[in-house]
Amino acid sequence: MFYSQAMTEVELIVPVQHLLMVTNELADQGIFHQVDTSYMSAENGPDSARSWQQKAATYAALERQLLATMQLLNVTEGTPPPADDLTLIEIEVVRPLIEHIAEDVQQVNDQRITCQKRLERLESYLRQLEPLANLALDINALRHPRHIFSMLGVIPAANLERLQTSLARTPFVLLTLRQDHEKPVVWLTGAKRDADILERAARSAYLNPLNLPDFQRGTVPEIITSLHTATERTHQRLEEKEAEIKALHETVQQRLQVVLWRVRASRMMTEAVAHFGKLHHTYLIVGWVPAVRVASLTQHLKQVSNDILIDTSPIQRSHTRQNIPVALAAPGLLDTFQPLVTTYAQPRYDEIDPTILIALTFPLIYGAMFGDVGHGLILALLGWLIHSRKIHALRSMANLGAIIMACGGMATVFGFLYGSVFGKEDLLPAIWIKPMDNIMQILLIAVGLGIVLLSTGFLLNIINAWVARDWGRFLFDHNGIAGLVFYWALLGLGAGALIAEFPVSPVVFGIPAVGAAVIVMFSDVLKRLIEHHRPLLDGSPGTYAIQAIFELFETFISLLSNSLSYVRIGAFAVAHGGLSAVIFILAEMAGSPRTIGYWLVLLVGQLFIVGFEGLIVGIQTMRLEYYEFFSKFFSGGGLRYEPLTLLPPADK
Amino acid sequence: MYARDVSAYAAIQARVRAMYSTLLNAQAWGELCDASSYDELIEALKQTAYRPYLEDVTESQLTPRRAIFQVKRRLADTYRTIIRLAPANTRVVFTQLYRHFEIDNLKAVLRGMVTGASWEQVLYVLFPLGSVTVLPARRMMEAGTIEAAVELLRGTPYYGILTHSMERYTAEQNLFPLEVALDLHYWRTLWRDANRLPGHDRTQALRVVGALVDLNNLMWAIRYRVYYQCSEEEIINYTLPFGYRVQDEDIRSIAAGADIAQIVTRLYPQLTSMDALLQQPQHGLPELERQLQRHVAAQCRTAFTGYPFHVSMPLGYLILTEWEIQDLTVVIEAKSAHMSTEQFASQLLMSCSAG
Repeated sequence: MFYSQAMTEVELIVPVQHLLMVTNELADQGIFHQVDTSYMSAENGPDSARSWQQKAATYAALERQLLATMQLLNVTEGTPPPADDLTLIEIEVVRPLIEHIAEDVQQVNDQRITCQKRLERLESYLRQLEPLANLALDINALRHPRHIFSMLGVIPAANLERLQTSLARTPFVLLTLRQDHEKPVVWLTGAKRDADILERAARSAYLNPLNLPDFQRGTVPEIITSLHTATERTHQRLEEKEAEIKALHETVQQRLQVVLWRVRASRMMTEAVAHFGKLHHTYLIVGWVPAVRVASLTQHLKQVSNDILIDTSPIQRSHTRQNIPVALAAPGLLDTFQPLVTTYAQPRYDEIDPTILIALTFPLIYGAMFGDVGHGLILALLGWLIHSRKIHALRSMANLGAIIMACGGMATVFGFLYGSVFGKEDLLPAIWIKPMDNIMQILLIAVGLGIVLLSTGFLLNIINAWVARDWGRFLFDHNGIAGLVFYWALLGLGAGALIAEFPVSPVVFGIPAVGAAVIVMFSDVLKRLIEHHRPLLDGSPGTYAIQAIFELFETFISLLSNSLSYVRIGAFAVAHGGLSAVIFILAEMAGSPRTIGYWLVLLVGQLFIVGFEGLIVGIQTMRLEYYEFFSKFFSGGGLRYEPLTLLPPADK
Repeated sequence: MYARDVSAYAAIQARVRAMYSTLLNAQAWGELCDASSYDELIEALKQTAYRPYLEDVTESQLTPRRAIFQVKRRLADTYRTIIRLAPANTRVVFTQLYRHFEIDNLKAVLRGMVTGASWEQVLYVLFPLGSVTVLPARRMMEAGTIEAAVELLRGTPYYGILTHSMERYTAEQNLFPLEVALDLHYWRTLWRDANRLPGHDRTQALRVVGALVDLNNLMWAIRYRVYYQCSEEEIINYTLPFGYRVQDEDIRSIAAGADIAQIVTRLYPQLTSMDALLQQPQHGLPELERQLQRHVAAQCRTAFTGYPFHVSMPLGYLILTEWEIQDLTVVIEAKSAHMSTEQFASQLLMSCSAG
């Protein structure tokens, strides 16, 4: 429960003739995390890794070609067929089929694109000429004048001002003939002697000269009429091509979908085989399987091939030399809290999976900060609605719904403990404490809870270091045994200074505090010493001493700030009561309880508390978990467990 | 305002602070630079936050080009995390900043097509954007011509820019106008998005984004004048009229032929030896760019001190990570080419000395 699933390394020796059946079975089981052993294969040859990679590349190219064809025809991928149908399809069989369909589709599509482009060009001419529609003059006179520089064209709107700036020292006229927020039509003119400057400026501002075909001659109205006629003809032709594509869609849709899934499965299978190791007449397949599933996998594989050799090696947690995939295994509803962990980092195999800890502490801290029966129930209801997927728009947040539900439930429990309902603290008796009336007490309890959580963090780090056989971290790290002793000794000294007639002498805490401080200061040296790393110091002893003093100071400050950080739990519990009181005061200012104003302000106020304060408390809880708690023991960086499959996980 | 900022940034600033601590420190840089071979460098890198990315592929596959690609995946993951955690109204700025890599990929694909490179050669040069990108990179490479490749971008923000610029590409048979148009569009959009942020976020975003705009705009203006011998009008049209410290007047002065060293020294008094750098532009301009980057990096680090609940901390972190990877790329390539530390140390933004 505290660790990811125990993994077993599985090595399979598979006869060549059973390779594809075994691969299919491995993918079908969906539990085998493959390890690359292709380095064992011969460089070349029909069964070499390179040959399988080439096959995989060919399938990938065919898949892309299929997807491109389907996109052109607006055909969806459809639902995947049963896994039994996903066997390897021969390239020689499928390639002619795909290419034949693609060629037909491409031909019609090319004609469609030609029509579209022609249409765009014609419409562009029309747009450019529109501002000049009333000019009954030969357009060529404006485009190619004899005595002045003249350029009629289209420019990106963002470049217009820059073009004017760039010509600040050259006489010119720039007229916008057609306003457009993206590409206005402009006319740039100036003296012939400045033609070079104007031309370079226009070009660098991406002013594209008006591009009318040579056959378009005559006055502007004449050209516009002729362009309209051409546009209409092109429209008709485009519609014909669209109809042809629709007909093709109906004809080949089903065939394309079936072939796509076969090709995709073949690609995934060949990609997997490309990472197997090829021996003489067998293949070596290595991977990881959750220990509890090994027996069932072995049984299935034996059914597929009697000649298969299976060797399994369960792995100790301390085997950090290997990159072991991490299959998180939170039971039941706890797995909804897993994203809170993986958002921070993927746990390593030899590291405690903090999912259960966050599942316990997150709602606890949240509830303590937001303790209110009414608000808690609203949150729990909201969480249930989201989790139940009854609200279509929030279906993707179902996991978050469970977390909100747990937080709401715990807030309700604390509401009873605090005696608070919708901020009213006189309706219910407080089973435990009223935060508003016992401010110092609640703040101290919050810090106490923080000390417990931080100490747990220290202990978890010590356990992680023990499991990983990292003795340096275990003994000397500022989050290891030395750090924990230092922390507890400081707490003892602090308690002695603050509590009158504290029964324990400061010496009892002082001696371990100094001892642990010295160890923490020189932890790097001590770690290198027991790990037999040399040299013990990187720089000069003087520099190291200064650095060590500052690091000790930083450790001290961070222990202090980490502990005091938890005071916010109590502060928010108090603030909740205060904020609710303000809402009631505002409601009373709006009118008496008999008026609608009173209830309106109360309703908006309560929604504000649930939404705004609820959100802030959530963020603060996350901060306490990530920044204060996780940083003590959780480093992450584990390898995600990704079992081999022929179908995308969602489809599975 | 304060409460809103705190609630909006609480999670992201905690996460970014945690990630900030994983940036390579001076000691780590010292170890990387001192690695005696490429293999030792990779081993040293595996002791850092890049470990999972490098261990994701087998050692035989970890060629220098692949190692750089893997290292970049960390930045891609960082971007995705920050975009996910960022307050909704600021997400557009982070997303646009991320688009920078998409533009670089687009340029790499176009360059690959022009030089006749294969897809395998181009693949690991591309930034690993994953499924976020709108570029059908492989299909573009297979399209055959630049015109056909651009046609595949229909429906993306790049289609309009490229189709308008294609007229110049067709006439000049040079990717320069396409690349300039993409760059100008990118920075204008980023500046616009930063300007649209509300209140304090706007000020902070303009400070960071503005520093980047300054760096690019200044280097463009100088390069267009020194390398490309562009006319005054061309330089102005190929640069941006806004910035944080570098104003339009400065760019126009450079375009008009004013003393570049004098202008740069006035804008950045802390930069020295400008005359010497500009006398040998081949070496001097890259060094000037590095000095400006170091200046921006220092500015990004200041985001981690003082009031933390605004946009500049994650922005600064992303820039620092990007430049860390830029340095790592130099070190990886240098080590694989068996260069000594002295030969490549000056190409880094970070110092190779562990102290």
